[in-house]
Amino acid sequence: MLNEWLLQLAQFFAALEWSIGLHESIYTYAWIETTHVLTLAVFLGMLFIIDLRMLGILFRDVSAADLAARLDKPMMLGFVVMVITGFVLYYAIPVRTTQSIWFRIKVVLLIAAGVNAWLFRRRMLASADTWANDLSPPPDIRRGALRSLIFWAGVVFTGRAIAYDWYDCHKPLSELMQWAAGCVNPADLG
Amino acid sequence: MDLLPLFTWLDTSFLAEISKSYGGVFAVVQMFHLLAMAVLGGVVILGDLRLLGVLMTDIPTAKVLRPTYRAFDIALFALVLTGIFMSSAVAMKLFYNEMYWVKMIALLVGVLFVYAIRRPLLGNDPDTLRPISRTLIALSSLVTWFTVAASGRWIGFS
Repeated sequence: MLNEWLLQLAQFFAALEWSIGLHESIYTYAWIETTHVLTLAVFLGMLFIIDLRMLGILFRDVSAADLAARLDKPMMLGFVVMVITGFVLYYAIPVRTTQSIWFRIKVVLLIAAGVNAWLFRRRMLASADTWANDLSPPPDIRRGALRSLIFWAGVVFTGRAIAYDWYDCHKPLSELMQWAAGCVNPADLG
Repeated sequence: MDLLPLFTWLDTSFLAEISKSYGGVFAVVQMFHLLAMAVLGGVVILGDLRLLGVLMTDIPTAKVLRPTYRAFDIALFALVLTGIFMSSAVAMKLFYNEMYWVKMIALLVGVLFVYAIRRPLLGNDPDTLRPISRTLIALSSLVTWFTVAASGRWIGFS
């Protein structure tokens, strides 16, 4: 049911003039994708610096809480641009993206990374006074930073993997994979 | 200097055999390439914004820059290593791709700039440099590394 609904939504987007225009454009799509990848350096770059500080690897002589607070704004700026360009990229090729197993895993990982970031931030703000200047923060903060690195590495991998057609719906796939990738029989759309 | 023999060799090397045969391995290496790019970009932006007086201004510049040097070196090493592997999959195509050479030249300029100009000029205490010098160093760095990253992405479109 959900797969049918998602495909119908994707087909609705795909029929829109702007979506077609973006998909067929020579430079606009390329520039949007370039911006999406370049904001990796802004958003993920800042996030990795914070995570590596939390793990006690980088900037050990700078207060962890101070570093996180200072890098918060550029990181969020990069995040906003990345989300906007990411949505536009989806909007340009909605049907294939909706039926990509990698895109689906990416969305799940994004949600996991978001929840982890929220919990991490809450824990950090609640306890930073006690460890802000320590070389290495407490274990739960370090675990949160490690989880963040793993989730975002997964987001980058799955983001890149969308370009590959290994598990596209036109390939012979098991029933489970067809469901996971959102492959829908056109007759089921009604 | 004729680099064609090098690319011809790379195209038929053991690396090329792996990168062409195993799409999954290629994608994983590509992920590490992008992660290294994020780290390199992050420390470049952080260092340059500090030099421009935009970020972490309450912390001495040297204290901000020093940790970024090591992270930059490791990220650059990872980028070059993964980049060679990725190039082996399409070595001949890259040899005839203009954007690839734009990236390579920008990368060479960037590396020379960092090790021969930026770091020696900034020295042990960048705060003693004139603000205009710090600004010029930061802007040159940002433009150079932006060109490297953007031209890298455009290889796929050209």
